[in-house]
Amino acid sequence: MKFWDRVANIDRRWIYLMVAAAVFFPMIVVMKFPVELTPETRQLFNAIDSLPDSSVVMLTFDYYPSAMAETRPMSEAALRHMFSKNMKVVTLSNIPLGGPTIAESVTRAIAKEYGKVYGVDYVNLGYRANYVAVMHGLASSIESIFKSDFTGTSLKDLPLMDHVKNYRDIKFIFVVADNATIDYWISIVNAQYGVPVGGGVTAVVAPKMYAFVEARQLTGLLGGMKGAAEYEKMVKIAGSATRGMDSQSLVHLLIIFFVIVGNISFFITRRKDKGSA
Amino acid sequence: MVENLAFMDIFGIWVRAFFILAIFSFLYKDNAVYKFAEHVFAGLSAGYYVGLIWQTVIIQQLVNPMFDEGDWVLVFPGILGILMFARLIPKWSWVSRVSLAFVIGNTAGIYLIQSLHGMIFKQIYPMMDSLDFGAGFDRILLVLIVIVGVISTLIYFYFSKEHTGLMGVTAKVGIWFIMIAFGAHFGYTVMGRISLLIGRAEFLYYEWGGSLIHLF
Repeated sequence: MKFWDRVANIDRRWIYLMVAAAVFFPMIVVMKFPVELTPETRQLFNAIDSLPDSSVVMLTFDYYPSAMAETRPMSEAALRHMFSKNMKVVTLSNIPLGGPTIAESVTRAIAKEYGKVYGVDYVNLGYRANYVAVMHGLASSIESIFKSDFTGTSLKDLPLMDHVKNYRDIKFIFVVADNATIDYWISIVNAQYGVPVGGGVTAVVAPKMYAFVEARQLTGLLGGMKGAAEYEKMVKIAGSATRGMDSQSLVHLLIIFFVIVGNISFFITRRKDKGSA
Repeated sequence: MVENLAFMDIFGIWVRAFFILAIFSFLYKDNAVYKFAEHVFAGLSAGYYVGLIWQTVIIQQLVNPMFDEGDWVLVFPGILGILMFARLIPKWSWVSRVSLAFVIGNTAGIYLIQSLHGMIFKQIYPMMDSLDFGAGFDRILLVLIVIVGVISTLIYFYFSKEHTGLMGVTAKVGIWFIMIAFGAHFGYTVMGRISLLIGRAEFLYYEWGGSLIHLF
């Protein structure tokens, strides 16, 4: 009984230490847990894959740097998929804190790998305040909202933007978000302007999104690091999400173990308390 | 120049590593290093937002369109914005209600249409379509579960009538649906938080660890 009393009163710092060990262990010893594909990921991949080559697509970086572990691999995998199909990519961010900078660094790096030219194959519009007004405004004219790109270059000087004037010229919008902006992409841009929208969101946001996938308001969904790892698998790259899933799986096993042990200890110590009362 | 850049890169990595470890030190116990990191973060964010709002709202959306493009109609939203500062003078604080009334009315109008057309109708139509008997038994069952779940959950949050009799039974069914939804959210939230931890751990292991090798 003493053992279960000790388990029930274990210092939580030991638990933190075990979680830290479970996170770092797969970085030292590669474990390669399997990543199973979900229908939502396949749906998103197929939606982009079935677009004709050279289609213009929009990719949003609606996330803060704090959520990068989950969202950045999604953006990178999406860009690799799009550039490998020679699509023209227009990026923007509705998040002022870090979003535009992440968009710039990620897009430039991936574009360089595929030999894509800025202004011809891709454009980073950057950030404008008030995302509801931005989403409505882009429907009539991109240039009315973004007079220049992220670097301050006028849209008139970017050849890609000669034939991309509003949503009618965009075949698909891939929203990568860690917050409620995706709700507005769905309820404004998809519902009111009819542009197909796919989503890559953090795990915290994901449960709410399944209703939109079910109603076909969202064409596919990536949920958290698991979703990012699935997309990396579809695109056939082993990125940071695939690597992180080893730690993720190991910590989940540890949490399941803690839940079982915690419940056993709870019931045993409660029975003991009742017996002694 | 390259050497300077490399030094700055390494310096940046060390600063980031210091702040990550400072924040994590709270897990051991509350301490001065954690408090320092917390205050730096709060101060930097506040400062950044002031500069950001000045540049992206005041300059980009008000001053530039007015003076560069002659869009003088923006004087009115500008005045409404200035009126908000009346809250700083207690005697004149009521004036700010003019701006607030405009913002609330405008927002309610936009969001009402957006919620109706973008959320409510778009969710209801496909569900009702699924009630077609040709859709298969499993589909109809799923739709019925959703209908029961929505109604019973709404009744659980209806407090104008005592939860007794049929109302009480329905509210109890609603609790089950709420608990299942919370469970799903909790599971995903745990996954999300662990993902964030993995992100920081990867930074410490690969980038900070890499910089250590570079230094020694």
